Amino acid sequence: MPDSIDLDLLDESFAEMLGAEWRRERSVAYAQSGNLIAEDLWSQMAGLGWTALTVPEQYGGLGLGIDAASRLHAALGAVSAPVPMLGTTMAAALIAHAGSDSQRAAWLPALADGSMRVGFAQPSGAKLNFEDTSVNGIAADVLDAPSATHFVLSGRREGKSSWIVLAADSPGVTVEVHPLNDTSRTLGSVTLSQVALAEDAVILSADDRRVTDLLEHWGCIALASDSLGIGEAVLDLTIEYLKVREQFGKVIGSFQALKHRVADHKTALVGARELLSHVALLDPGDHAGLIDALSAKAHITRVAAEVARDCIQLHGGVGFTAEFQPHVFLKRAKLNEALYLTRNEALDRVADLLEAA
Amino acid sequence: MTRTFDILSKVGDEQAFRQEIRDWLAAAMPRNWRVEWQGLENETLKPKMIAWLEERRKVGLATPHWPKEWGGPGLPFGYQIIVYEELTRADAPELHMYMVSLFHTPATLFEHGSAAQKERYLSGITQGTDIWCQGFSEPGAGSDLAALRTSARREGDHYVVNGQKIWSSGAINAQYCLLLARTEQNVKSKHEGISYFIMDMQAPGVEVRPIRSITGEQEFCEIFMDDVKIPVENLIGEEGNGWNIAQSTLSAERGLLIFGGTERLARSFERDRVDGKDSWMRDPQLRREYAAFHAELQVIRLLIRKLLKELEASPDKASSNLSTFIKLSWGPFLQRYTEFLVRAEGLEAHKWKAPIPATAHTSRIKFSDFLKSFAWTIAGGSNEIMRNIIAERYLGLPR
Ligand SMILES: Cc1cc2nc3c(=O)[nH]c(=O)nc-3n(C[C@H](O)[C@H](O)[C@H](O)COP(=O)(O)OP(=O)(O)OC[C@H]3O[C@@H](n4cnc5c(N)ncnc54)[C@H](O)[C@@H]3O)c2cc1C
Repeated sequence: MPDSIDLDLLDESFAEMLGAEWRRERSVAYAQSGNLIAEDLWSQMAGLGWTALTVPEQYGGLGLGIDAASRLHAALGAVSAPVPMLGTTMAAALIAHAGSDSQRAAWLPALADGSMRVGFAQPSGAKLNFEDTSVNGIAADVLDAPSATHFVLSGRREGKSSWIVLAADSPGVTVEVHPLNDTSRTLGSVTLSQVALAEDAVILSADDRRVTDLLEHWGCIALASDSLGIGEAVLDLTIEYLKVREQFGKVIGSFQALKHRVADHKTALVGARELLSHVALLDPGDHAGLIDALSAKAHITRVAAEVARDCIQLHGGVGFTAEFQPHVFLKRAKLNEALYLTRNEALDRVADLLEAA
Repeated sequence: MTRTFDILSKVGDEQAFRQEIRDWLAAAMPRNWRVEWQGLENETLKPKMIAWLEERRKVGLATPHWPKEWGGPGLPFGYQIIVYEELTRADAPELHMYMVSLFHTPATLFEHGSAAQKERYLSGITQGTDIWCQGFSEPGAGSDLAALRTSARREGDHYVVNGQKIWSSGAINAQYCLLLARTEQNVKSKHEGISYFIMDMQAPGVEVRPIRSITGEQEFCEIFMDDVKIPVENLIGEEGNGWNIAQSTLSAERGLLIFGGTERLARSFERDRVDGKDSWMRDPQLRREYAAFHAELQVIRLLIRKLLKELEASPDKASSNLSTFIKLSWGPFLQRYTEFLVRAEGLEAHKWKAPIPATAHTSRIKFSDFLKSFAWTIAGGSNEIMRNIIAERYLGLPR
């Protein structure tokens, strides 16, 4: 089945649905709503099988890879969709690659049908201790924790990286919500006090290094994709505006000072798209693949954030209003830059890996 | 005793193909050329360059990226990449004197030349040692190329050309010139009335004066034309259609030509961090700056691969939007990266060293590489002109 799915067609169906269901006005209105998640959009996505994209087929998924997930995340970024898809992508990757058979059977179908929504811990965050029958500690700054039904938190057991999957309503679990500037997503710190640790909640892998690399690879690509979608969308809508807004008796898009910036942004995005489609096909176990994925995260999240920043400027006063969409994109793009790895962290990793090559 | 090499017959077996190139390079590449060629001027450099082209020709790799239709080896895409990878790995000299011959001339003639012109001039490159130059720019016509004033007047079976060209790279070495001249003075739009010629640089009335560049090298020249006769069969395409034809020339310059340069830079990029490992690579901020260039370099390499694949699919479609994006990615990137190396190297980079020709932008003399980066931000359509093209032609912003 995976072979028979044309990713370009998939792209079209993503864009078509999101374009119809998550129009600019909705995106702008949602930004002030105070909601934690766009429930209706999430249900529609689940109904269309988008949450099942990377779940293996035997667990009710489509069995596609990160290249398909990359397309979905780009489409979600392009409309700034308030849905916790990153958690689904990351949890599906972890559980499918490192979970036991019973763990897969327990969680993958629920990820596929959208009933399980995951707050996935930042890979660079502090590690919890999973040695005992209960766990204590704080997983700080977990994306989408406030709307999650489950958390995937990382820690250590027997000297190795490992992960636990916890229901959000488990006794002893509390979530402190951190309101974000980017209201299309949510962030929370998860505190665990004497939370019982069932043996089958722990994901252990003989090759934990491979799993961490895989998660890093997928996380980088998902975030870079979201940013690419943001960058392209915000530039498109800005170009539209430059073609209609008039000053000094002509459309402002005829001013060269503006055209040249737009041309630079376009060039950067054409390159970013090429880099991303290349990276999404690389083997995460491969050293060079990881270098390129980390580079893509640092580079593309930066490019998109800079494009979005300048797009506010290119709009003038209306760009400063809550009623226009650019600010929604800027806030989301800035968050992507900081999520999972900061630019400096990513670049330090790239330099380490290059030197080790 | 030297063995003979048969690289092209290995197509179909990548491993054997690669190995054969390596063996050939080990035997045929000029020894120690970076040291011996450093600081050489045109007259002494030219025979060395010709000898190296001759070696490449013997094994069919004078023009590795040329399709069969251009008289090239018609290598599949994957094999072209291997050739460049191996030339780069071995640090073979760049055929920079042949830049126009290898890129601009075929791109122009293949699309627009007559059968006789292709036959004669392309084979003069694949089988001879013809060096070409490009005579587009004039003192009053740079970015605004269509403002050119060099005139060509039809007189019987030839044209008579008068005027001046400037910034013509390598004109001092050249046999032939790709010349733009005005055949019609009274035109509604300045893009009309321009014609495209092949000019013999040895013809009476042609005078060439070299101009020293910011690196101290003789990169480009002025060409003065005083009643130069060009036979009518040397008109490329139709009279008055020169502007359109020139776009093919320029698009070769903006895309394909960058391929070899980026592969070399990728190699040099690796060496830079090894060289810097006990100095600037220990500075956390410079180390990060360095690491950030990796993504940009990959972007350009990927864009070029995409362009090559397009070209493989349709060799006569030399003009693609992609080449504009490639040029506007490559020039500024190269400038920032070479500038970074000057900063990273500190005072050492400021001590003068003679430039090394044929190294593209990887002479590893940091200041000279940096200075040469301006060739990519100014020549062949400046950054600003690329931006105009993208904004106006591709994104539809009004003039
Ligand atoms: C290393 C090198 C090799 C070269 N080799 C050749 C060659 O072999 N053959 C050949 O014919 N030419 C060659 N050139 C010439 C080159 O193509 C021209 O220099 C180039 O087209 C710019 O023209 P110009 O020098 O007249 O600068 P100008 O056109 O005067 O430009 C000066 C500045 O104004 C900017 N500018 C101009 N017009 C606009 C506009 N509309 N909007 C915004 N900004 C604008 C430019 O970007 C530039 O920054 C070479 C140049 C260099 C540097």
